[in-house]
Amino acid sequence: MSLAAFLTIAFMFAMYVMLDGYDLGVATVGALIARGERDRSAAMASIGPFWNGNEVWLIAAAAALFALFPAAYAAAFSGFYLPFIIVLWLLMLRGIALELREHFPSEVWHQFWDAAFAASSALLIFVFGIALGNLLRGVPLDAAGYFAGTFAFLLNPYAVLVGVFALATLAQHGAAFAAMRLDGDLGLRAARMLRPLWWVVLALYLAVTAATFAVHGGLARWLLAMPLLSLAALAGVWWAARSQRAKGAFAMSLAFVATLVTAAAGTLFPYLLPAFPAGRGGISIFSTAPSPVALTCALTVTLGGIVIVGIYTPIVWRRMGGKLRAE
Amino acid sequence: MLVDRLQFAFTIMFHYLFPIGTMGLAPFVAAYTWKAARRRDEESARIAAFWTKIFAINFAAGVVTGIPMEFQFGTNWAAFSRNTGAVVGQPLAMEGMFAFFLESVFLGALLYRRRGLPSTFVAWAGVMVCAGAWLSGFFIVATNAWMQHPVGYRIAADGTILLENIWRVLFSPFSYWQFAHALSGALLAGGFIVAGVGAYYLLSRRDEAIGRRLVRAGTIVAFAFALIAVFPTGDRNGREVTQYQPVKLAAEEGLFTTEREAPLAIIGMPDVARKRLIDPIFVPDFLSFLSYGNYKANVNGLDAYARELWPPVELTYYAYHIMVGLGTIFAAAATIAVILLAFGRLWSARWMLWILMLLMPFPFIANEAGWVATEVGRQPWIVYGLMKTAAGGSPTVSNGETIFTLIGFAGMYFLLGFLYLYLTLREIGLGPSRERPA
Repeated sequence: MSLAAFLTIAFMFAMYVMLDGYDLGVATVGALIARGERDRSAAMASIGPFWNGNEVWLIAAAAALFALFPAAYAAAFSGFYLPFIIVLWLLMLRGIALELREHFPSEVWHQFWDAAFAASSALLIFVFGIALGNLLRGVPLDAAGYFAGTFAFLLNPYAVLVGVFALATLAQHGAAFAAMRLDGDLGLRAARMLRPLWWVVLALYLAVTAATFAVHGGLARWLLAMPLLSLAALAGVWWAARSQRAKGAFAMSLAFVATLVTAAAGTLFPYLLPAFPAGRGGISIFSTAPSPVALTCALTVTLGGIVIVGIYTPIVWRRMGGKLRAE
Repeated sequence: MLVDRLQFAFTIMFHYLFPIGTMGLAPFVAAYTWKAARRRDEESARIAAFWTKIFAINFAAGVVTGIPMEFQFGTNWAAFSRNTGAVVGQPLAMEGMFAFFLESVFLGALLYRRRGLPSTFVAWAGVMVCAGAWLSGFFIVATNAWMQHPVGYRIAADGTILLENIWRVLFSPFSYWQFAHALSGALLAGGFIVAGVGAYYLLSRRDEAIGRRLVRAGTIVAFAFALIAVFPTGDRNGREVTQYQPVKLAAEEGLFTTEREAPLAIIGMPDVARKRLIDPIFVPDFLSFLSYGNYKANVNGLDAYARELWPPVELTYYAYHIMVGLGTIFAAAATIAVILLAFGRLWSARWMLWILMLLMPFPFIANEAGWVATEVGRQPWIVYGLMKTAAGGSPTVSNGETIFTLIGFAGMYFLLGFLYLYLTLREIGLGPSRERPA
């Protein structure tokens, strides 16, 4: 049962990375490919109807963690106090920039919000990557299970490497989305951007994978197969981009991100917050197993919710889909 | 601890300004969108587009200020989260899965809609946004109601609180009366906003046809919910408090000594050191009647409870009296406006239009004051009778860190508040007639 809870939460976080990942990626890559006001406006409009729904996956995943593993939720959120608050501020800045930009009447304001949007999104990806890196590597925990390290500890080379990798991966993800969703010159530039990004992602992927095996002894055997799946998906991105199948490239990029999150969750399992150095235990799904009633309730809510959302969201999105033109 | 409480109070009060707007305006957005889509009425389409824009600004501010609320449970209230997450986390998860997705996905569809979308789809999208906004409010108020009056739980051997029955948590009378009261507060605010904006157009002699429609619709909604906020929802909410949190009732009413035939203090300033009200005006026996439906009933005063279980009396008292006082003014103003409307005199009664316009900010104050009374009156408990606020904090987070983040939130929210006012006032200035119907 604890396993089911872990899988559900992992699934929700995976949905968040796959979906909000392209929003953040479009923002990051948009700063590189957009030429002028109209392009940036079109890049924002391409994710406008979707980003808020995508961000809900983060809120819902955090709430599910809260309900199912309160001890892990409390230790992680209070332990990483400052980084979490910084994430909050960046999320807020990104949301404000995205939602309010079009209401402002002047180009000066637009330029300000475009810069704020790109910077906050890129930083968010980087900080999320650093957080994931630390999660995989483990953090110092005191006897009560609270974080006992410093801010500087979190900025270790491995975590920073994961942060850079996250930035490249989601930039590629965003470029694939933009190439699919945007018409004209801007869409073409996004598609062209995919190639150099792809090489960067490949190089970083190999580095991160090697580093993960180095910092993390004793990985489960099935995880050894994950690099093959990831590389296959990544090859799929290359192939689809070359044959100019924009939808295919985005689908393959989604698959690539999904394999990465799966591998990360598998590396973490059964811990929610592993201790550093490795082998010192940590907060696992068994050390703070939820009560059966809470588990049944939260699983019913999240799985039921996933089914309902899975029904209406595609219906709505299909009506919003298709190519966008820069006006 | 004090700083954590200040930060939560500041961020939640600032945040709640926006849910008042979204819950209150959502039915107007839904109704005008429905009319525009179904009857292909161009004027309704302009009004719908206008309110959807204002709603969207409000919603955006609500979303970005809402995320810190959920995170703060973990960051600043780790011991509370750890202890109660099995219960408190449930309605929060439901809010995410059942309300937020609904609201954001369909609002995205409304805002970025294109020509040629089927009108049925557009009409229902508005309804879904409204359902999402209200559901979200319900789950949050249910969470709060559980902290006011915990039910459906049991306590484990290690002291953590475990979930026993989710239905009792969600649908306790405390929960649904509190939600009904909060929602009627938001709807009365929505009514007064719509009426106030309409009154502004009429007073400036512009967009008069639309202005009349807004004043008519807004006044009727404000009238209905100003009354519903008093009875039954305010009354029943009050009785739940009387039954389960009598010391909060005593603080709200400024009743220091236990009395049969207890009087109701209309005004007066509590002097906690001397345990009396300064310069009060009383209605004899009326508190007994309101609390127990009997003029001779015994009402416990603060003296019936240990001093360390008193909430901060002054703040609870003033917040409660501000809410009740404003609520009375709303009911009176809305009644007069509706009577004028019924006799066709409202359009020439410019004084009433002035009142409607100037009343706009006050429902926000009344809603906030109601929550201050509810939350400050809950002290010293974080979960009533189970866990003290002082025991709920984060052991690893120091005051210095929280002061830093509080300053950060203050800066961020100052900017956001400024942008919100600027953009909303700008949209109101541009007006519905400038909208291109989609």
